[in-house]
Amino acid sequence: MRNSIRRQGPLSLWRIIPLLLAAVLLAACGRPEPPQLSQGTLLPSAKPVTDFQLTDHHGQPFSLENLKDNWTFTFFGYTHCPDVCPTSMTMLGQVQRKLEQQEGLDKLPQVVFVSVDPERDTTELLSQFVPYFHPDFIGASGDEQNTLKLTRQLGILYGKAEGSAADNYLVDHSAAIILLDPDGAFRAIFGVPHDPELIANDFLAIKNYYEATQ
Amino acid sequence: MKRTLLALIVSAWSLLATADSELQVENAWVREAPPSAHMMAAYMTLKNPGSSDTVLTQVDSPAFDHVMLHKSEVVDGVARMTHQDDIRIPAQGSVELKPGSFHLMMPTPEKRLVEGDRVDFILTFSNGETIRLQADVRKKP
Repeated sequence: MRNSIRRQGPLSLWRIIPLLLAAVLLAACGRPEPPQLSQGTLLPSAKPVTDFQLTDHHGQPFSLENLKDNWTFTFFGYTHCPDVCPTSMTMLGQVQRKLEQQEGLDKLPQVVFVSVDPERDTTELLSQFVPYFHPDFIGASGDEQNTLKLTRQLGILYGKAEGSAADNYLVDHSAAIILLDPDGAFRAIFGVPHDPELIANDFLAIKNYYEATQ
Repeated sequence: MKRTLLALIVSAWSLLATADSELQVENAWVREAPPSAHMMAAYMTLKNPGSSDTVLTQVDSPAFDHVMLHKSEVVDGVARMTHQDDIRIPAQGSVELKPGSFHLMMPTPEKRLVEGDRVDFILTFSNGETIRLQADVRKKP
């Protein structure tokens, strides 16, 4: 009996060492690498967003709470913009339709158009402008303070163009599309030019990476 | 007599300008806008196979109150739109009016334009030449 115990001791150790090595190797191999993106830039670490108060195109409050539990693409523009904004919103509609065809995607990202022209972009204007590009898209606007509260956290710049008249003006604004994760944190940025196929693929890669690292 | 001579010179110059010009306009279209949009945009390709530059100075349309020449560009990540006094089409070259670049900007008409509608435009060039064309209203990125 004693002998068998003595024999089992060293044998068990020899058995455990490879198992431990395998476990270490598995852990190292199992740690996912950040995805290589085609169009977007993934932030080295997600940047949490602090609360802001906007109003959506249904007249309902839209705040940080509305970003939680959803992936969110945001674009910042204005409804008097005839060229860049419709181009980007149409492109986001194409991204959404590509993702709708993606098998196994449990939940589509929400797409939020945030107005950088709250003076003119009333809830009524947004309610006709934004859903034109996709019925599920959300338009949001707020006062200057709350708009800046959000844009400054996401590195979005905007301002009336030089030489604009008081009642007839153009607005310069960042052209980037921002991706926020289901924690409501700033996760990735997509600069121009935008390609819907590449953005849809990048989104899926970022989502998989996020889920694997939770 | 002087007036007649001047008129003759002017009409001879016009004939010369018309004869010299071979400007072509291709793929003209107007982007269908959302119902609440206040502005619309139109695009086209202007080709100049001639031996001298041609300058687009004015565009008119019976469908719109006025038509502006504009250019969008992204500088350091910021999209900005600037008014253009004119658009130069280089000799034996072309200029594409396209999303994110040169375009025509028009205030939205009272009657909404939708895909399938056609819009008349009159393009005026610095040499006095005009080109009339029809553009399709399309839904495009």
